[in-house]
Amino acid sequence: MPSITFENVSKSFRDTQVITSFDAQIEDGEFVVLLGPSGCGKSTLLRMIAGLTDITSGTMRFDGEVVNEWEVAERRLAFVFQSYALYPHMTVRANIAFPLVMAAFKRWYHVPVVNSIARRTLMRSPEISERTARIATALELDQLLDRRPVQLSGGQRQRVALARALVRDPAIYLLDEPLSNLDAKLRTQMRAQITGLHREVGRTFVYVTHDQVEAMTMATRIIVMDHGAIQQIGTPDEIYRSPANTFVARFVGAPPMNLLPIGDEASGVRRADLATHVPGLALPDGDDLLLGIRPEKLRFHDDASGPLSATVVAVERLGSETLVGFHLDTAEDRPRTLAPETPHYAKVPADQPVTVGESCSLSFAAADVVWFDRETTRRLDPALV
Amino acid sequence: MASSTEVIVSEDVAAPSTGAPAAARGSRRGRSRLKLASRYVVVLVMMGLAGFPVYWMLNTALATNAELYAGTQSWWPHFEDLGSLFHQLGRVPLWRWLGNSAFIAMGTTVLSLVLGSLAGYALSRFRFRGKGPIGFLLFITQVLPEALILVPLYALFISLGLLNNLWGLVLADAGFSLPVATFILKTAMDRIPHEIEESAQLDGCPRISALTMIILPIIAPSIAAAAVLSFFAGWNEYLYANTFLSDQGHWPASVGLASFIGQNETPMSAIMGSALVFTIPAIVFFLLVQRKIVAGLTVGAVKG
Repeated sequence: MPSITFENVSKSFRDTQVITSFDAQIEDGEFVVLLGPSGCGKSTLLRMIAGLTDITSGTMRFDGEVVNEWEVAERRLAFVFQSYALYPHMTVRANIAFPLVMAAFKRWYHVPVVNSIARRTLMRSPEISERTARIATALELDQLLDRRPVQLSGGQRQRVALARALVRDPAIYLLDEPLSNLDAKLRTQMRAQITGLHREVGRTFVYVTHDQVEAMTMATRIIVMDHGAIQQIGTPDEIYRSPANTFVARFVGAPPMNLLPIGDEASGVRRADLATHVPGLALPDGDDLLLGIRPEKLRFHDDASGPLSATVVAVERLGSETLVGFHLDTAEDRPRTLAPETPHYAKVPADQPVTVGESCSLSFAAADVVWFDRETTRRLDPALV
Repeated sequence: MASSTEVIVSEDVAAPSTGAPAAARGSRRGRSRLKLASRYVVVLVMMGLAGFPVYWMLNTALATNAELYAGTQSWWPHFEDLGSLFHQLGRVPLWRWLGNSAFIAMGTTVLSLVLGSLAGYALSRFRFRGKGPIGFLLFITQVLPEALILVPLYALFISLGLLNNLWGLVLADAGFSLPVATFILKTAMDRIPHEIEESAQLDGCPRISALTMIILPIIAPSIAAAAVLSFFAGWNEYLYANTFLSDQGHWPASVGLASFIGQNETPMSAIMGSALVFTIPAIVFFLLVQRKIVAGLTVGAVKG
């Protein structure tokens, strides 16, 4: 089972740099999620691991061995495409058995016409049909083996794609947004199924998604990417609690982390106010700061008792809780209208009465704060604060 | 039909409850019946237009020359004259000619499909210098009339020893049908997502097998369409066959048919009889491949 090492890997298509000096190590048996917005280069990176896209510069290693020039088939990996890429003219059985049949092919079997005969003959071999049946049973596809992809639902097609990936026991599993075409309920089910599968087979999984819920629930480690560069590598918990920069802070979490401008009276929340009202809060030096705080860590007050005075601009009742959108009553943050595009958010209990337009205040604990430099967008090291 | 019956039954049950809606439903039902009837009429007219020439060929084949020239031809074929027709046809090597036609047509089809699928795949999947001009040149070949290249081709065939040779005809006809086949197959391959082929690659399938085991079966309807066009290009061959094949034993049926036309006499019934025989294999071929010409085979391969 190989670990995957990227050393200064980059990729460009003509003049467009898609991935810039990517350095990372994916260990044996990890479930790593490449998370980022559309066009951030995560799928390109996955295709580079598979060998479907060339590496422009840098080195990629499997277990220390350079694989830049390896053919796709040599890499012993399984790839589940976003579109599933099932063979439409073959039955589910033939689709699942295809990798096994190919593995049993001798060189001369690839002669046109001979290959079709050889495929049909090998399909009937006891070993291949037994393995196909076993994997089909495991993924509850045994009733569908004689159907063609067109006769299957989205979830069933997705399971066939997974079965085809699983059947030949590859060293690495690469999954490119495999759940994005499923409805929300099925997606939740499949998330659990894929995570269970990872535990069972114990192989390295690299999973690409732009859905941070998938990343948080499935990954053992997340690599957050933007504009072809790594923004942060860490466990879901680290990524959530200590985002490396404002991009990660805003990308992970729904609603995203609030970034409140702190500075002098004219531009943001006054430093002096915070120092007085939040016990134990260590304020970094400088006036160009952003105070990062998760919506669930904010305490909502319908009076002016909190250190941050604000105006409610949106109320979203989710049933179990309510999301309150607000703007701070500072010169910089105050909205011109009551329908701003990106308010800050606080999570409040579902039974708390809140109305749009009302004045309120917010408070928080010093331990829940993450500081960012407004100019560099990086998180300020807690040790220096 | 079953569903319309069900609808009618349920309407009949519901009808007594309200008068006005029932009347509306009745007129709607009448309209849908009228639509169905008019559809049948259109189909019947089309069938008549397509089938009548074949019927008239049979009718003419079984009429006497005297009837034909006197304009007293019956609307119904005289099946009792079948024996004399066979006797007339027996005097020419009709089966030989049909065999030659089949050889030219099948040869053209096989050559066009094999080379066309390889060329179409290269044009669809690879990036290479001159790809654009090649696509353009494919169309240029369709602009040239056959007669224009007859003389240069004749000179070429003399030097290659292909004159009076059926293989020469296969090459000449494939020259015309190959660009069309290539274009049809390339367009069909363009519609197949690259992921399907990449998936085959990941499953350990080399390109040649991915082409023959994955891509070609998926585009079977387009292959059938290209096969029909290539087959008929070869089957209907006349100009080159008439020019390049001097030996009567090498003639295809088209040239053989034309040879019936004499200076003093043209035996219309024999011409129509052999034309009918000439038509049947083409119809059979079309019926065989048309089952393959069904769309939607790729549906379900990918999302959506």
